[in-house]
This record gives sequence, structure tokens and C-alpha cells, in this order.
Amino acid sequence: MSFHDAAQWLSDTNLSTNLREAPYPYVVLSTIHVLSIALFGGMIAMGNLRVLGYAMRDVPVSRVIGQFRPWKWTGFAILAITGVFLTISEPLDLYDNVYFWLSLVLLALVGLNAWIFRYGIYRRVAEWDTSQVTPQSARRWAWISIVLWIALVFAGRAIAFG
Amino acid sequence: MIAALTQAASDLSHNPINRWVWVFPVVESIHICGFTLLVGTVAILDLRLSDLALTRQSISQLAAALAPWIYLGIAVQFITGPYLFSSSPHDYIHNPSFRMKMMFLAAALIFHFTAVRATANKSEPLGVGWRRLVAFISIALWMGVIFGGLGIGFWSVND
Repeated sequence: MSFHDAAQWLSDTNLSTNLREAPYPYVVLSTIHVLSIALFGGMIAMGNLRVLGYAMRDVPVSRVIGQFRPWKWTGFAILAITGVFLTISEPLDLYDNVYFWLSLVLLALVGLNAWIFRYGIYRRVAEWDTSQVTPQSARRWAWISIVLWIALVFAGRAIAFG
Repeated sequence: MIAALTQAASDLSHNPINRWVWVFPVVESIHICGFTLLVGTVAILDLRLSDLALTRQSISQLAAALAPWIYLGIAVQFITGPYLFSSSPHDYIHNPSFRMKMMFLAAALIFHFTAVRATANKSEPLGVGWRRLVAFISIALWMGVIFGGLGIGFWSVND
């Protein structure tokens, strides 16, 4: 079975058909999807801006990131769940949409970047927790995070465009 | 007056946003990034006012730390928003969802710069009940802006 057959199979399921043909699921799902971006996008921005030394410099880095973490995971879970259902609703269209695949690649890179930060430089955060100027590698990962998230917004928006 | 409006309407085809197909989605993507920064940072302040997040920071300190980013978000929106509007002013003015969005936007901004700021800057914080009420109204108004913005597209699709 090819990957396209899998998309075809998914598209033929009752769940996919119902999501696609009923008038409300798409509107509701995409609205919640966008709302969750607002909920935790601001936290991702502020966490990165703290690492970069552009915001909340007088607060330890780990305290900023630690206090945001449960809310960021909540926002991300809502974003991911609604994203999965949006994907289920039109798998064949998305299969042919280059921006959908680009979004998935960027999402994977976002995850990889967060993982490298968390299990790399952030392990030794105690050494630079209160510094106003954080280590260069920490700042590099923060910049990459900001750029990747902005790229993800562009790619996500472009899914609807092309 | 009519001549000026006719002139403006004929100029729509000269507007870069209508000349190249990619300008609109690019500007709209910047608009989404700006909205994420603006509403996302306002949401942090509202969560703090409700004692739901960042409780180790004092409210007034957090409000001061968030303020420049809220302003930056507002600036991005007030540049990209009117430019998106300029692509077809007539359609937007007659779009019910756009009108709803503008009303919620006015209310959200006024409420933010009066009630939310006053509550956040109190040297002696109000009781959590009052703070939650202010935060709830703030979030509700901004959600009205977001629903209105999303609705603009849904509405024109249904035309």
C-alpha cells in the first residue's frame, strides 16, 4: 500500500467524511487552532526574548521558562490535536499541498531545536541563570526558535493559500 | 468627493497587494505573527492577573516587562491591518465580520489601556476576584477580535 493509498483510505473513513462535509467542524477546528497559537505563541516569544536578554532580564531564565512550561504544553497540545483533526478532514488535498509538508518539516525542526536547547545548554542553566548576557549558544538556539516559529506561521497560512 | 472615490477605486489595481498574488498572503502572515505577539503577551498578563501563571512575579513588574512587546504587536497590526484593508476597502466595509472585528478591537484597546493597566499598576493589588473579572473581560474582547478576523475569510468564502 502506497502512502497515497493510505491518504485515500483515511479520506474514505466516516470520521474524515463527516469532518469534511458538515459545515461547522472546519470553522470550529481552525478557530481553536488559531486561538491556541495566540495562547502559547506569546509565551514562546517571551521565553526566547528572556534568553536573548531583551525582556525580563531581572528574572532568572529558569524561572521564566519554568513558569511558562505547563501553559506552553497546554497550548501545544490543543494546537496539535486540532491540527491532527484538520489533517484528517482533508487528507487528499493536503497530500498534494507542498506547504502542508513544509509545515510538518518546520514543526519537526522546531521540536529538534527545543530538544537540543533543553538537553544541551539548558542543562547547565544554573551557571548562567541570572546573567543579563546569556551564553552565545543559548542565544543562537533562541534566534533559531523565533525564526522557525515565524516560518511555521507563514507555511501554515500558505496551506490555505495553495 | 465622488471623483476622489472613483479615482481611489481605479487605483486599487495599482496597489502592489492586488498586482502580485503573493503580497496579500505574505502581509497576512506578518499580521498573524503580530497578532500572536500582541494577543499572546496580553494573554500572559491576563493569566497573571488571574493568579494562574507566573505567580512568582509581581503583577506590576510583569506588566512593565510585557508592555514594550504589546506596543510592538500593536504597531505591527496597525501597519499590516490597514494595508490588508486597502486591497479592497469596499468589500471590507460591507463585511459584517470585519465591522464586528473593528468594534471589538476598539473595545479591547480601550479596556486594555484603562481597566487592565489600572488594575496591573495598583501598588496594592485588588482582590483576585476583581482581577479575574478584568482578565476575563480582556480575554473575551480580544477573542472577539480574533473571531471577527477569522470570520472575514469565512464570510467572503460564503458569498
